[in-house]
Amino acid sequence: MPMETSPKPGMPPGTLTMLILRVLQSEALHGYAIAQRIHLLSRDILAVEEGLLYPTLQKMLLKGWVTAKWGISENNRKVRFYELTKKGREELKDALSDYHRFAQAIRDVLRTA
Amino acid sequence: MAELFRRLRYLLNRRRFDRDLENEMQFHREMSTGMGHAEFGNLLRLREQARDAWGWTWIDRLGQDLRYGVRMMARSPGFTLMAVMVLAIGIGVNVAAFSVFDMVALRPLPVPDAQRLVRLERRSPNDYGSEISYPSFEFYRDNARTLSAVMAVLGIPPMQIDDDIQGTSASFVTPNYFTQLGTQAAFGRMFDPRVDGAAGSPPVMVIGYGLWQRRFGGDPGVVGRAMYLNRKPVTVVGVAPYSLATLGGQYPDVWLPMGEQPYFFDGSGVLADFDTASVRMWGKLAPGITPQVAAQELRSLTGELRHRRPTAVWDKEFIQVSPGGHLQILQPAMFQLAEIVGVLTFLILAVACGNLGALLLARAVQREREIDIRRAVGASGARVFRQLCTESLLLATLGAVAGLVLGCAVTRIALSELDAPKWLSAVPDIRILLFTLGMSFASAVLFGFTPALQIARHGRHKMTVRQILVTAQLAGSCVLLIVAGLLVRAAHHALYTNPGFGYERLVSIDGQLKQHGYPASRAGEYLERMQSRLRTVPGVRSVSLVLLPPLGHAVSYSDAVIQGANVRVYPNWVSPGFFAAMQIPVLLGRTFTPNEEHVVVVSRSFARAQWPGQNPLGKRVGDGNVKDEVIGVVADAHVNALNDDDALEEYWRAAPDQMNGMALVARTGGTVENLATAVKSISESLDPQLFPEIRSIQSLYAANVSQIESVAGAVSLIGLVALSLAGVGIVGLVSFTVRQRTKEIAVRLALGATSNNILKVILRQFSWPAVIGLAVGTGIAAASSNILRRALYGISNLDLIAYLGAIGFLIAILAVSVVLPARRALRVNVSKALRYQ
Repeated sequence: MPMETSPKPGMPPGTLTMLILRVLQSEALHGYAIAQRIHLLSRDILAVEEGLLYPTLQKMLLKGWVTAKWGISENNRKVRFYELTKKGREELKDALSDYHRFAQAIRDVLRTA
Repeated sequence: MAELFRRLRYLLNRRRFDRDLENEMQFHREMSTGMGHAEFGNLLRLREQARDAWGWTWIDRLGQDLRYGVRMMARSPGFTLMAVMVLAIGIGVNVAAFSVFDMVALRPLPVPDAQRLVRLERRSPNDYGSEISYPSFEFYRDNARTLSAVMAVLGIPPMQIDDDIQGTSASFVTPNYFTQLGTQAAFGRMFDPRVDGAAGSPPVMVIGYGLWQRRFGGDPGVVGRAMYLNRKPVTVVGVAPYSLATLGGQYPDVWLPMGEQPYFFDGSGVLADFDTASVRMWGKLAPGITPQVAAQELRSLTGELRHRRPTAVWDKEFIQVSPGGHLQILQPAMFQLAEIVGVLTFLILAVACGNLGALLLARAVQREREIDIRRAVGASGARVFRQLCTESLLLATLGAVAGLVLGCAVTRIALSELDAPKWLSAVPDIRILLFTLGMSFASAVLFGFTPALQIARHGRHKMTVRQILVTAQLAGSCVLLIVAGLLVRAAHHALYTNPGFGYERLVSIDGQLKQHGYPASRAGEYLERMQSRLRTVPGVRSVSLVLLPPLGHAVSYSDAVIQGANVRVYPNWVSPGFFAAMQIPVLLGRTFTPNEEHVVVVSRSFARAQWPGQNPLGKRVGDGNVKDEVIGVVADAHVNALNDDDALEEYWRAAPDQMNGMALVARTGGTVENLATAVKSISESLDPQLFPEIRSIQSLYAANVSQIESVAGAVSLIGLVALSLAGVGIVGLVSFTVRQRTKEIAVRLALGATSNNILKVILRQFSWPAVIGLAVGTGIAAASSNILRRALYGISNLDLIAYLGAIGFLIAILAVSVVLPARRALRVNVSKALRYQ
């Protein structure tokens, strides 16, 4: 069975990782909260599918960008919290600067062409 | 690196991590349903997707596939057993053949530094000598710096222990032989290079383990015992170990130090004679020296030797250095033979795999429903393909294990039958295991790949694939059958062909006069006296001189071209009574008269080849100034080429200067044993120093025949395997294909086709595969069997009977496998067959 984990059409590849890294920058969150946070912050435009969220988180764990710790959720359930590592912060910085560079380049083209 | 460790942690703790994922997702689901969000997807599927990130999914799938494969195999044990058996035969034959090759050429001798042992032989662009003169050996030994040791072996005719009638095989070796091989005596000691063979030290000998058991009943007290060897006193100092490893795989019963040669052979100058090539030379490379470097040094030493002794060195001679730390030194001809055997055995595997592939394809039809279901629930073509390949690998693994067991069992039997050196064991080494692994993988690809691809693609071209399979199988089977047929024919031909001379009640007597320092004139007198004394022995019918006695140790021939054909001519030098003594009929003309010169007697085949349709008498042969006149033609008698039916013979009269090389043949009306006893007593009175080798030609002939018989037996067995594999495979494949068309046949019948029409249609489907397969197979066999020519005992490699037999057999099988199921199909109840599917 082919099991691609490519993002939804419309979301450029690698964006989800960047978004997750970004929302984790200020505090550790569990999976559901990550999805909610992205959803809210994008004013309901970006919906993160579970089928994409968890494989991406697993990949990030493997890369060592985040660590997972079991904790208690707001409604008193045992749940896994993801926290950014030092390596994750560096990765976020790189991803953001790459993203800004590309976005700027695209804006330049759109403005002048 | 850290990532790899993390991955491994995931692999090892898969269960725990999977549970974590499940809990986490469960939480997510509850949260989102609680908030009235969209539905969460299939949990299992999502978990699988998340797990994919760890990169270990393939292990899970392999596990699944294997479990499934095992279940499938268990469900049809008959098929599994059949498949494993077919594979076991195919792989087993290859394993056995490779084991033999491994033992002979690859497995190092169990001695220290085996990889440093080298065989040293004389070579030049035109000449090859396996032996070298002893003084030359000494020169290389004393001067070569790239060799840490040089050993020599001098082979001699059997010697007489005490008053034995039967001779005992013996060899002289340089005393460093066993120290270099690190041999530890079973009892007593081996040779001591400082003492044994040196001037003034007492004569000693080491006996082989086999002789010790046979003759001395394994009595350790034999060490230190004084015995007589060729009537000379000698002391046994040791018994060679049971699993003795020797250079070149030689196992004489008695080992003697080289320095004792003149003691046992009075008057022999072999050890001082630069012009008599007598010893085999071996060396041990100095540490860190490559064979190339050693060869380089030996080349310059050869130049130096030429400077000192021009006659001792050939034009452009050099010493060839080849690896010597194995059972045998492989000559190019043996490599060629190994290649042939390798190709043939692989062909057996290929045919076996072809059969299995056909079986798998046939089963695929039964499994169509199952595979359709798997697809329906979401399996992709690639996934089905992988599953089928896993099943094939599983089968191949089982087959390989069975094949390994079978192959090793065969090797073990062969080892004990062939009286092989005891250090060899049939336990597979790493090379054999790797080979088996490779074979099982190759066979999995051969039998599993095409059907799997076909099924996974949901085969639209099943028909074509099956036709290709039939073609390939026919071609492979055809080659196998033809070659097997040729070998069987050749073996039987060799068995039942009259050798052309009377071998019963015939003995050869070789006094080794030259080795005992007899000059030609004295040898002539000795032989004359011996002959006249022999003639007075009761029962003796005839006696004659001959240079190369029948089935002797030495054979001489020359390859020539007569009337455009390559022939092998065997010359011999005899006294006038030879043809009568050997019972070779004189067909035309006469034999020699005493003191006649420049005349020659030829065999019938020689005369036919040289002067077809003409009277050979009075013709002249030879290429020197003085040509020899043909005075007689005798019947073909392959005295020195028992197995070569094409051999031609030329006989010259023995000249006085050849006398010290001559042997005798004697025919008796009584028993060979009585004659042998008489010869011994005559020899004793003529010269007590001589111990003539007396050989019964009848038993030599019987030994030769039994050797051919065992070859023929082995070949017949392989032929039988080839035959049954070919038969089973073709019948299975073709009849299955025909059965598959039952519905079509029913439709045709319903529409009014006659049985003949239908049979024709079905036959036509296989006519092209049959024609192409047989043509290709015959072509390959004809082209490659050329190499077998010499092994075929005079059968042509294009022998019509073998070819027609193989082709006829295959066509018959094909016909039976088409017609029988077709007839059954024709007899079906049309409406039933149509309703059934």
